[in-house]
Amino acid sequence: MAQTRSPRDISRSLTRRVFLKSMSIAGGSAVMTPILARTGWGQELMLKAPEANAKHGGTLRYGVLSAPAHFDVHQSGTVSNMAAQGPMYDNLIRRDPRDGQTIIPDLAQKWDISRDGRTYTFHLRKGVKFHDGADFTAEDVKATFQRIMAPPKGVVIPRTPLFSAVNEVRVLDPHRIEFRLSEPRPTKFMLGAFASGWNIIVRKKTLEENDFNLRNIPNFPGTGPFRHVSRRDKEIWVMEKNPGYWNKTLPYVDRLEVYHLPAFSPELGQALLAGKIDYARLLDPVSARKVKETKGMTSTDFYQSVIQAVWVNMKRKPYADPRIRRAMHLALDRPVLVDVVKDVAPMMVGGFVYPFSEWASPKEEMAKRLGYQQDPKASIQEAKKLLAEAGYPNGLKNVDFLVREIATFKLWAVAIQAMLKENLNIECNLRTVQASAWFDEAQAGNFDIGISAIVSTLMDPSDYFNAWYGKGGPQNYSVWENAKFQELVKQIDHEVDDGKRKGLVRQAEMIFESDPPLLPVAWEKINDGWYDYVKGVNPYKIFGIYDVVRWDTAWLAK
Amino acid sequence: MRKYLLRRVGYALVTLLGVSVTIFVVMRMLPGDPLVAMFGMEGFAKLTPADRARIMQDLGLSDPLLVQYVHWLRDMVTGSFGKSFFRGESVSAMILHRGPLSAEIGLVAVLISWLVGLPVGILSAFRPNGARDIIARALAILFIAVPGFWLGMLIVLFLLFGFGYKAPLLVVHPWQDPWVNFQIVIGPALVLGLGQGAYIARMSRSCLLEVIVEDYIRTARAKGQREALVVLGHALPNALLPVITLSGILMGFVLGGSVAVEQAFGVPGLGRAMVTAVIERDIIVVQNLVLLYGTIFVLINVLVDLSYAWLDPRIRYR
Repeated sequence: MAQTRSPRDISRSLTRRVFLKSMSIAGGSAVMTPILARTGWGQELMLKAPEANAKHGGTLRYGVLSAPAHFDVHQSGTVSNMAAQGPMYDNLIRRDPRDGQTIIPDLAQKWDISRDGRTYTFHLRKGVKFHDGADFTAEDVKATFQRIMAPPKGVVIPRTPLFSAVNEVRVLDPHRIEFRLSEPRPTKFMLGAFASGWNIIVRKKTLEENDFNLRNIPNFPGTGPFRHVSRRDKEIWVMEKNPGYWNKTLPYVDRLEVYHLPAFSPELGQALLAGKIDYARLLDPVSARKVKETKGMTSTDFYQSVIQAVWVNMKRKPYADPRIRRAMHLALDRPVLVDVVKDVAPMMVGGFVYPFSEWASPKEEMAKRLGYQQDPKASIQEAKKLLAEAGYPNGLKNVDFLVREIATFKLWAVAIQAMLKENLNIECNLRTVQASAWFDEAQAGNFDIGISAIVSTLMDPSDYFNAWYGKGGPQNYSVWENAKFQELVKQIDHEVDDGKRKGLVRQAEMIFESDPPLLPVAWEKINDGWYDYVKGVNPYKIFGIYDVVRWDTAWLAK
Repeated sequence: MRKYLLRRVGYALVTLLGVSVTIFVVMRMLPGDPLVAMFGMEGFAKLTPADRARIMQDLGLSDPLLVQYVHWLRDMVTGSFGKSFFRGESVSAMILHRGPLSAEIGLVAVLISWLVGLPVGILSAFRPNGARDIIARALAILFIAVPGFWLGMLIVLFLLFGFGYKAPLLVVHPWQDPWVNFQIVIGPALVLGLGQGAYIARMSRSCLLEVIVEDYIRTARAKGQREALVVLGHALPNALLPVITLSGILMGFVLGGSVAVEQAFGVPGLGRAMVTAVIERDIIVVQNLVLLYGTIFVLINVLVDLSYAWLDPRIRYR
C-alpha cells in the first residue's frame, strides 16, 4: 500500500522544494546580476537636432582660436586643437550637444557596468568606417585607450590620471570591449572620463604607423561627421560632410569652415558682427554685449573648466602658516575682481570647488561666508586678526608677486596688490613674465605669490582635487599639503554613493577655507555669439569648450 | 662703379651677419621655453627631463650654440629656411604664401606716400606760410604723431559700425581675385602710406625751400619758363636726393610698422606671422623672418644709394 504523506509532510516538502528552487534562482541571479547590473541606453539612440524642421545643406562658418602647436588631440590641452579637429572624430560615449550634460551613446551604442563597479563593457556600433574606408573595431578603441592610459616615451597625455584605476582593457569581440578597474570608482566620474571630448577614437593602424605620436599628422583619419578637405595654417580649416557617417541624419551642414581668430580678440568680434562668420566662440565681453543688442543675433555665456587663482608658496616663510594664507584669502574682494576684468574676459565669483557644480556649496550659503560677501568689511576684520595672531600685525614687505603676461592677470595683479596693501599692509612687488617663464619660476619655487589659471577635464572633484590640491599634484604650485585632505580625497575617489560623496567634498571645502591651497580669484566663463539662423546649438548649459565641439546637430535656417 | 658696388655688397653682408648674430643671441636669451608653447603648461609639467632633452635634441636646440648658428646660416644660404617648431610647417612655404601680401602692402604704402607726400610738399614750398602750407604742415604733423596701429583700429571700427564692413579674413593674392586682394591691402597700405607721406611732405617742402632760392631757379623764371616747368624740371630733381634717402629709411618703418598695422587690420601677412612666432617662441620662424626683413632693408638702401648716380650725374662712385 502506497504511503500517503500528511499535509504537514507535503507542506514541509513543498517548502523545501520551494526553498531549493528559490535558492537556485537566487544563486543564478547572484552570478548574472553583477554582469548585468546596470545598462546604459538599452534602446538604440540616433542623435538628431532638437528642432523638428531641421534641414540639410549649407556651409557653417565658425570663428575660434585654431592655431594648434601640433595635431595630436590626445596630447593637447587647448581649444586650438579641439575646436578644429573635434568635428572629424567620434568618442566612445559623449555629452549630448542638446543639453551639454547628459552622457549618451556615440561609437558605443550601449554599455554595461558590473554591480561591483569594476567592469565597464561597451557594445560598439557595427558598420562604422574611418574616413579612409577602414572598418572600426574594438581593437581601435583598445589601442586608443591604452595609449591614453600608458603613453609611450615622449608622449604626454593630460587625461592619463583619469584612468589610473583601469588595469586591463579586453577585446571581447570586434564590437565589444571591456575595461576592468582595479578598484571601484564613482560611476559618474568614470563615465565622465570616457565621455570627455579629448578622448577621440583613433585608428590602431594610424597609431602604429606613426610610432604612437600624431603631433605632425594634420589629417589622421577619424570616424566623425566631418572629414578634412584643406587647411591653411592660422587661416582656415575646411571640412566637408562625411557621406558615409554611421548616423545617416547627421551632420546637417555640407561644409564646415573653421576660421582661426584669436580668443577675446577684436578681430573675432569684428568678423562676427560684419557677417564674415556665422558663429564665434571665446568672444570678448564688449563684442558679446554688442551681439546681444543686435537684431538677428544671440550671445550667451556658459561655464568653463578653468579657475583663476593666486598660488602662495608654502616653501617660503611665512606662507606655510595657514593663518597668513587665510588672511590673504579673506582680503580679496572677489566681486570687485570680477568687475575689474569685465570688459576683457567673462568671470564669476567662486571658491575652491566649481561654483556651478552639484558639489559646491549653494550660492546662498557662499554669499554669507567670509571671503565671498558683497560687503568685505567683516572678512577684512577677520583677516587682520589672523595676520596679527600669526605674528605680523604690521603686514609683510617685499612680497614677490609673479604675474603671468596676459591682460586679465595684469589687471588683477594691480588690484590684488592694492587690496593686500590697503587691507593688510602687505606690500607686493609685481614681476610680470611670459607664460612659459611663469611656469619655470613656479616649478622652481621662485616666487612668494603668483597668479595664473589652470584647467581640469571634468567637473568631478576626483579629477581636479588630485591635480590641483593633491600632494605632488601637477598644478599644486603652492606645494600645499594637508594630511586630513589627503585622507579625504582617497575616500572621495572611492565613494560610490553620491550623497556620501557630496558630504566628503563639503568637508574638503571646509579644509580649503581654513587652510587655503590657493587663493581663488574667479572662475572663467565663455562667451559665444551667433546669428539666429544657426540652429541646433545649445551652448547655454555646456561645461567647458572641449566636449561639445562636433557641430553635427547644427543646421542653417537660411 | 663696380668697385663701389662690390664694397657696398661687402658692407651689406657684414651688416646682415651682425643682424643674424643679434637675433640668434636675443632669441636664446629671451625667457620662455618653446616646449611650454608646444605642450601647454600642464603637458610640459608631465614631461620627464629625459623627454625634454630628447625633444630639444630633435628640434636642434641642444647642440652647442655655435653649431646651431652655423647650421642655421648654412640652411639660409642654401635656401632651406627650415621648419617651424609647431606643426612642422615649412618656413619657406609660409614666406611664399604670406610674403606677397606683406610686400604688396609695403609697395602700395610707398606709392601712396609719394603720391600724397610730394604734391603736398610742393604746394607747401611754393606758397610758404600761406593757408595751404599751414594746413599741410598741421596734417603732416598729425600723421607723424598718430601711431599707425591706432589709426588702423579706428578705421576698422568706423567701417564696421558705420557700414557693417570688414576686410576679407583669408590670404588672397592679386592674381586670384584683384578686388578681394585690394580690400585686404588698401587699409594697412593707406595707414602706412599716409604716415610715410607726412615725412615725405615735410622733407620735400624743406628741400624745395632751399632749392627755389638758388640762382638757376631765378634764371629759369627770368627766362619766362612756365612755373610748372620750373618746379618739375629744375627745382624738384635737385631737391629729390634727400627725399629718396629718407624714403629708403622709411622703408624700414614700413617693414617694422607693418607688424603692428597687420595686427590692427587682421591681415594674415608676414608681420602677423612674426608676432605669433615671438609669442610661441618659434625660434626658427622669428630668426628667419628677421633676417629676411633685414636683407630687404639692406638691399633697398643699396639700391637707394645706387640711384643717386642715376639721378645726379655729378655723383660718380669709385
